[in-house]
Amino acid sequence: MIELRGTSLVYSDHGRTVYACREVDLRVATGEFLGILGPSGSGKSSLLYLMCGLKVPTAGVVEYQGRALADMTESERDGLRLKEFGFVFQYPYLVGYLSAIENVLVAQPDPGLRDEARDLLERLDVADKAGRLPHELSGGERQRVCVARALLGGSHVIFADEPTANLDHTSGRHVMELMAEHRGGGALVVVTHDPAMLDKADRVVTIRDGTIQ
Amino acid sequence: MITLAVMLIAGIVALMNSIPLSVTTIYSYSRYSLGVSPRGDQSQLDEIRQRLVAGTPAPIERIVVCRANTAMVDSIVGKWPFVVFGFEQPDMRYYVQKLGAELSQGRYPVEGEPEAVVSQPVATNLGLRVGDVLLGPDKPDSYSPKEVRVVGILDTHEWIMFMPIEYHRVNHYPPVDVLLVFAHNLPDQTRLDEWALAEFKGDRARLYAFTDLKEQTDLAFKTLYTILNVVVASLVVVLTVMMGMLMNIYQSQRTNEFGLLQALGYGKRTILSRVLAEILVVLAGSWLLGVIVAFALLMLVKTQLFDPRAYALDPTDPSTYLYSTPVPVMIFLVAALDFMVRLKRFDPVGVVERRLL
Repeated sequence: MIELRGTSLVYSDHGRTVYACREVDLRVATGEFLGILGPSGSGKSSLLYLMCGLKVPTAGVVEYQGRALADMTESERDGLRLKEFGFVFQYPYLVGYLSAIENVLVAQPDPGLRDEARDLLERLDVADKAGRLPHELSGGERQRVCVARALLGGSHVIFADEPTANLDHTSGRHVMELMAEHRGGGALVVVTHDPAMLDKADRVVTIRDGTIQ
Repeated sequence: MITLAVMLIAGIVALMNSIPLSVTTIYSYSRYSLGVSPRGDQSQLDEIRQRLVAGTPAPIERIVVCRANTAMVDSIVGKWPFVVFGFEQPDMRYYVQKLGAELSQGRYPVEGEPEAVVSQPVATNLGLRVGDVLLGPDKPDSYSPKEVRVVGILDTHEWIMFMPIEYHRVNHYPPVDVLLVFAHNLPDQTRLDEWALAEFKGDRARLYAFTDLKEQTDLAFKTLYTILNVVVASLVVVLTVMMGMLMNIYQSQRTNEFGLLQALGYGKRTILSRVLAEILVVLAGSWLLGVIVAFALLMLVKTQLFDPRAYALDPTDPSTYLYSTPVPVMIFLVAALDFMVRLKRFDPVGVVERRLL
């Protein structure tokens, strides 16, 4: 489904060359739950951005369904992220003037998905906060709304960057289970530094200094 | 701020427009006839009359011989001289009928007597009622050796004053007869006026035509309107800079949102069109609100301050509000350009990684 071959992401920091990812070879199969484990600053998030097309590799190839993301136009990559990918970012960003449920619907602007959005919020125990604005939610509640946003519309691939960072252990596990359940025929890629959250993963890889170990 | 700017500009423009509007309103009676007087030599009057009759391109309905002096009326910019005609009895009635007017109060002046008829706007402007003094020995600006009293008021929107020509000839200066030349209708009158202005150009005849008055008014206020344009342009620049800065701050505060949307897959074009639509709605709404409030205020000023003194003010004149359109247009262009530049350099990963916050 997703394949990285010799993929590197290099940037310059005050004249110093920094490898966010170095010659990564990685394959995510259809239906797979892949866990990426690594300490802070190891390149986990960069790897995720490369896989979803938010970043273009400086070397190597990232393919989705057999097509190199770098060969796509920016507009095509945007369309891919909007229609086929779901995201849970490290920080629980929500649009400040939209209610929780409206924030969920931001991912797939289709009014027909309102019931599904409400159902997801229910399963994440924040249905009673559906009408609240982000500033009225706790960090954990915001994170769960972000998870609901990523799962809405049956995204083919769900990318999650530290999705349980703002949650207690029980809630974290619940969220992971829900995401794993929702991947369906697609894939789930979770980046975390907490191995306990990856016990349902089909495969776990470790990244250190931008290199898959 | 845009609403206030529209109100300010509309207010300035409406008041400015009211000056030439006052000229054309007060002297609107001159649309119905062409006034011709000899320059200094009364003996030329017959020759002038013959040239008019022989050369006119439009049929002449009637030529009225009259006298004219002035009384002062009030205007938005102070006192203005306004003509008081001296008519013979049949000509008074002809003129009134030509204006489509009729006496609403009182009667026509008696031949040779110090009596006058004024129209309703004049009566309103000067606060006159039947029996009041229009001209008199103790009125330096509206002088007559005897007290000329109002004996009738005409029901018409035109400004007009007249008295018996016999009294005028004996008591008023200048001792020059004036011809009022009437065509059958207003289009013919315009043709007649334009022909006469060309025909008598450079001759010893003074012409009073509405088309000429309008041209002269436009010319006289050209400089004033140039100043107005500079004032409006300055306001537009100041407001655009201020609003541009405010919008810049506002868009900066939404960096988080735009980054998130772009990371989720919203294209730059989608985000741009969304933001432009928002700006457009805000600007159009503010402008429209400004127009509505300005219109309401100008109507209030008109009914409470201007109408009681018969001053001219037209809150329905579209130019009053169109002058303010550069404000939202310029702000939109600056805001759109600013956002486009911002979006072009924008990195959504910077936002989701919290580097741009």
